[in-house]
Amino acid sequence: MNDHRSVSIVMIEDDEGHARLIEKNIRRAGILNDITHFTDGTTALDYLFNHADGPAHNGPALVLLDLNLPDMSGTAILAKIKSTPALKRTPVVVLTTTDDKVEIQRCYDLGCNVYITKPVNYESFAQAIRQLGLFLSVIQVPEIEGN
Amino acid sequence: MSIGFAALLAAGVAAVWTTMRSQAHTDMVNHTYTVKLAIAHTQTLIEQGETARRGYLLTGDPDYRHNYDVAALQTAPEIARIARLTGDNPVQRRNLATLRPYLRALFAQRASTNGQIARGDKADALTSFLNEKGARRMYHIRAVLAAMGDEETRLLGVRDMEQRNTVRAFYGVLAAAGVLLMIVALLSITTVQRYTRDLAQSRDTLRDFADSLEDLVAERTTELTRANEEVQRFAYIVSHDLRSPLVNVMGFTAELEAATATITGLIDRAEQDAPEILSDEVRLAAREDLPEAIGFIRTSTQKMDRLINAILKLSRQGRRVITPEPLDTGALAATVRASVQHLLDDRGAELEIAQPMLAIVSDRLALEQIFSNLIENAVKYLDPKRPGRIIVRSRREGVRAIFEIEDNGRGIAPADHARIFDLFRRSGQQDQPGEGIGLAHVRALAYRLGGTIDVASELGRGSTFRINLPITYVEAPTTRTERDPA
Repeated sequence: MNDHRSVSIVMIEDDEGHARLIEKNIRRAGILNDITHFTDGTTALDYLFNHADGPAHNGPALVLLDLNLPDMSGTAILAKIKSTPALKRTPVVVLTTTDDKVEIQRCYDLGCNVYITKPVNYESFAQAIRQLGLFLSVIQVPEIEGN
Repeated sequence: MSIGFAALLAAGVAAVWTTMRSQAHTDMVNHTYTVKLAIAHTQTLIEQGETARRGYLLTGDPDYRHNYDVAALQTAPEIARIARLTGDNPVQRRNLATLRPYLRALFAQRASTNGQIARGDKADALTSFLNEKGARRMYHIRAVLAAMGDEETRLLGVRDMEQRNTVRAFYGVLAAAGVLLMIVALLSITTVQRYTRDLAQSRDTLRDFADSLEDLVAERTTELTRANEEVQRFAYIVSHDLRSPLVNVMGFTAELEAATATITGLIDRAEQDAPEILSDEVRLAAREDLPEAIGFIRTSTQKMDRLINAILKLSRQGRRVITPEPLDTGALAATVRASVQHLLDDRGAELEIAQPMLAIVSDRLALEQIFSNLIENAVKYLDPKRPGRIIVRSRREGVRAIFEIEDNGRGIAPADHARIFDLFRRSGQQDQPGEGIGLAHVRALAYRLGGTIDVASELGRGSTFRINLPITYVEAPTTRTERDPA
């Protein structure tokens, strides 16, 4: 696996516990990609759009996005990513506690690639994250082949 | 007012009384005049008699004698009349008593002289006339009669005064009555005016009230709707925010469990290879304390998750868009019956749908949920001691439809009749699974459809749940604009 080309994971999640659980399960699924963690929307957006290592300037990335953030709504971040040409192909996985149908619909309308509800049942949660790991390994392949 | 009228009445009575008094006084005055007249007449008669007698004495003309007789004959009855008229006056009685002997003597003397003349003893008669103390006697008679006249004049004066006083009193009473009448009239007019004004005011107030009632109702409905939405939004946000930490608790509990498994594995190995390094405490901690603690955390969080989901579900129910459509409630109930048929069969119970069932316009899903919850409850809480029997019936009451789900199950204690509709509250023996959500859900749905729900139940006899819905669902005014942020 080529480190330069590998997908870096940007996790925007204000809850440290959730972030830790997500990371642990990603690792357990055998995904070793870099994970950059942000706990608020502002710094996350700054990283995504402006940072030298950020996905706008440097290679493929995957965004794990929580909808409940202290400073802005996750859907606003989603809308910004999907309306910026440099970022709109970046897959966004929405990971949130909301299982409201309308909310899910709205996220897909905005261009979210996967919507995962954080279930309280940990097994389903871990399962979902591991499947996400599989998804990550799938999207990795074309990136490598493309280069 | 009533005092005024009473005073007026008293004034009328007083007027009548004074009039009567006045009449009595007039009668008394007339009476006095009559007496005076009678005294004068008596005097005249006596004087006439004397004149006639003297004529007879001088001339012997029988005409004079006749005149005398006529006058003399009238005198006695006239005296008697005076006596009768003045019987109540001691002064006059005394006067009459004085008069009578004089008169008797006078008439005796006259009769004697007249007799002498009649016999032709004219000289004797003249002598006796000359000897007569008659002049003296006449003087006395005149004096007594004058005294009697004076007495009557005095009485007349007194009575006249009294009459005048009575008349004055009458005028006084009349004037007082007049003033009273004016006052009462004024009072009456004022009262009537005040009443009229009050009446007009009440009418205006009533009209204004009627005008503003509609606005008020609309305003209150809006407030209520807003409050309701607020509660729902609150429930929604709270349930979401509560879920977030719960994810952590469950997640890390699973991590702990995994770690415990690792440690337990290590202890098992140590037990085999080097049992001396293990104490009972370590074994207990790894094999009992940790799994037990984790187990409790897990069941509690699971329960909490169910409760939060229930709140979430309720709040969603309130936000759901109602789509009214014509419904055959009989068919709807039959669908629900089919879905619980296996339960009915298990328990040997039967469910009757009393035909005909009403046709209403409402939300299918909501009504189906209401029926299904209530019927499931009826089946769930049947009394095993007797064959279960559930009846679903409906009737119309004006613009409302009443649905009843009646069972002969174990019933609900009266203290719990209101409580069972609250979230997480249950009644009776807790031998059936459930979180106490169903009836709260049913009530929320009933409210959402513009209806109400209540229960009539007797412990050990059965329960009847009654839902009251509008025959045709009408959308309540809403302040809802957009859905809430997640």
